[in-house]
Amino acid sequence: MGRLQLHRMSPDERRGDSGVAHRNGCCGALRFFVALALFLTASVVQADQTTPYTPANASVVLQLVPPTTDPRVRRFNQLRNDFRQHPTDMSKAVALALAYIDYGRSTGDSRFLGRAMAVIEPGMEQPEPPIPVLLVHATIQQSRHSFHASREELMQVLKRDPGNAQAWLTLATIGMVQGDDALANDACVHLANASSDFMGIVCTASLRSLTGHAPQAYALMSMVEDPGPKAPVAIRAWVEGLMADTAARMGKPDAADAHFKTALQMTPGDNFLLADYGEFLLDQGRPRDAINLVSGDIQSDTSFLVWVSAENALGLPRTRIDVAEMNARFQSMAQRGDHVFMREQSSYMLHVLHDPKAALDLAQQDWKVQRSPKDVRVYLEAALATHDPSAATPVLDFVARTHLDDVTINPLIAQLQEAPSIAAPVATSKPKGNGP
Amino acid sequence: MSIRRLLIALCALALGLTPLSALAHKESDAYLTLRTDATNDHVMHGQWDIALRDLDFAIGIDANHDGAITWGEVQTQRKAIEDYALSRLEVKGDGLTCAMQPSGQKVDEHTDGAYAVILFDAVCDKNIPSKVTVVYRLMYDLDPYHRGIITLRSGDKIAGAVLGPSNPVASLDLREPDRWGEFKSFVTDGIWHIWTGVDHILFLLSLLLPAVLIRRRLPPHGNGWRVGAALAESSGALMAVATQHPRYGWEPTSRFWPACLDVIKIVSAFSLSHSVTLSLAVLGFVHLPSRLVESGIALSVMVAALNNVYPLVHKRVWLIAFAFGFIHGLGFASALAGLQLPAGAMAASLGGFSVGVEIGQEAIVLAFLPLAYLLRKTWFYQVVLLRWGSFLIIALATGWLVQRAFDILIPGFSAIIPS
Repeated sequence: MGRLQLHRMSPDERRGDSGVAHRNGCCGALRFFVALALFLTASVVQADQTTPYTPANASVVLQLVPPTTDPRVRRFNQLRNDFRQHPTDMSKAVALALAYIDYGRSTGDSRFLGRAMAVIEPGMEQPEPPIPVLLVHATIQQSRHSFHASREELMQVLKRDPGNAQAWLTLATIGMVQGDDALANDACVHLANASSDFMGIVCTASLRSLTGHAPQAYALMSMVEDPGPKAPVAIRAWVEGLMADTAARMGKPDAADAHFKTALQMTPGDNFLLADYGEFLLDQGRPRDAINLVSGDIQSDTSFLVWVSAENALGLPRTRIDVAEMNARFQSMAQRGDHVFMREQSSYMLHVLHDPKAALDLAQQDWKVQRSPKDVRVYLEAALATHDPSAATPVLDFVARTHLDDVTINPLIAQLQEAPSIAAPVATSKPKGNGP
Repeated sequence: MSIRRLLIALCALALGLTPLSALAHKESDAYLTLRTDATNDHVMHGQWDIALRDLDFAIGIDANHDGAITWGEVQTQRKAIEDYALSRLEVKGDGLTCAMQPSGQKVDEHTDGAYAVILFDAVCDKNIPSKVTVVYRLMYDLDPYHRGIITLRSGDKIAGAVLGPSNPVASLDLREPDRWGEFKSFVTDGIWHIWTGVDHILFLLSLLLPAVLIRRRLPPHGNGWRVGAALAESSGALMAVATQHPRYGWEPTSRFWPACLDVIKIVSAFSLSHSVTLSLAVLGFVHLPSRLVESGIALSVMVAALNNVYPLVHKRVWLIAFAFGFIHGLGFASALAGLQLPAGAMAASLGGFSVGVEIGQEAIVLAFLPLAYLLRKTWFYQVVLLRWGSFLIIALATGWLVQRAFDILIPGFSAIIPS
């Protein structure tokens, strides 16, 4: 396996009209892009050379797909038939899209996001898309980390329906992911008015957890009334997950561990929780537990990343093979022009492949899109590893402004502040010249 | 707030909960590779890897719905898979769509699971040029985030693109523009065009037939000597000015070179004029309706043959060749117009085609002239070929003219000779 492909697709490549560098290019930039596209294509093609084969016999199982024994599958098959019979009824389309999103979310199969998108696309082409359609659209955009587009659509929804709790919650979420505290705070207040005290408190608490008030947030979350056994289990698992994150932030690993376990009992196999808990276990120096946790889910990229990192931490002999596999997965994502895992990839570059420069580069790209505590952390780690404290300035400013207080981040800040001033690293990191 | 309302609110809100990393898997991709064939310019070998999960979603591969797709199920669905996929792909070489012919079925493993592999040949018209256009519509109605990763390989050259429902078309440089190869292929085109164009050949032959003969005034019957006739003969102007028709006959030319010079004049005049209109038409400066052009060509054949039977022009036959060459050039251009040439290949194709037409024409002349010169003294040449042959050509050309000008089919006529 060659080196991991880090370069972004050039605009030429994305538009799809790239080609062999044999043009009378008018300017250097064009020639550069064409050359880059060539290089990219060449390296991508090299990496993607698998060999087609003919299976030994007809009974060989090639691929598992959702079986009809799964009630969720039966449900969306039912909804699909419904929608086919009433293709212009957008409420049927929305119901089907929601079922797809729900299934995709719990299994981590992001193909279902695209399938949901296709179902509601006709609704989006109307001059004024129905609010539920717009909301589903914005949710998919958010899930695919198109935060900016999602935000704009949510604003449209809220302009037409200021009491739309779903829109406020999604907006609050985006505000928190992007470190826009004012937006998140405003959305949480509106959410409380639009839905229930319960949602308002959880929303506000999760924001306070990010702004230096983790103990208070934890207390708030513990105090909110249990929404009752009839409430969707996803809601309760969500709150447990938030409490786990907050406890971890406060440096209470035992409490965090317990919350993660409770959450996973409520929604077993939940892809997001597995990755979150897995990363926590790695932080705690429990790679064996991390491997056991994700072992049933390594088809998922986020779980496999935890798996590879744990193997690497343990120095297992299989690491080499799985690192190659992980590289190939990142590569096929880059090949299609997706860059949604920049934070995860940055951490992987730093801790598994030991390439701090590439890690910092990715962290900086990631920072333009999202600014959660995990994004802060990987950025600072990469800046420290490259001995380039000045690169961390925007992130340090962000932490100072938001008062983020996190036991996994505080030591990094301390180290960076102790580090020699901006100009110094070049001098100190350089090996001494040859003496006479 | 009532419990019920709270629950409804919570059910709705459960949708927006997990904000991060909803993408735990790569989204839908397919991998399309096209390889040129070093030994066959008309064929590209294709390999298209499509995820079984996507195919199952689109057309249903898991026939028994047990959640496990077996090789047997994939084999059973081979035709359905090929029909589904290949109808959503177009490969074009310089504007002409290549025909897709499935050639095999396999399986491949990618990072996110098993893929069905469709092996196929894209069989393209005449010349695969330097540029290939791919129009990709797989999954366009099922998943806007589907991407087709396209790779073109030609020898050691590679070009690629990423296509999807919102961006379905890519033009890719297949190889170094092989201008010489294109030129040669168009030379062949030009040669064949004139050899298979019966009307062009008959026009040329009609003009050439008398070249090995000299038209002489026969001794007059009676005293009908008129100055006008002599003038007309020597000037090549209309014989009709003569008040009384003198009698003329053909005599074989005594020397080869004057005949050869005549032929060269005719052929050069024809070449010059048809090259002019061919270029003007291909470059888009001139456009005449094809019905007019084709009728004009038929008329030219008629006039050329008629001139052999009732000579209006003899010494300056090249004038006829020159005048009607313009209309033949427009006819040649219509053969090129169907190919939708890329701008870069224009010079090569136009030049090549013209050269081809010339070569085809010279070949006819080279075959004709020695033979005609040898036979020129025979009754067969002077009467059967020149006289009766010309009548036959007139009949054919009249048929064409009627068919083309009035856009009708004369029953049985096309069966005798295709236009």
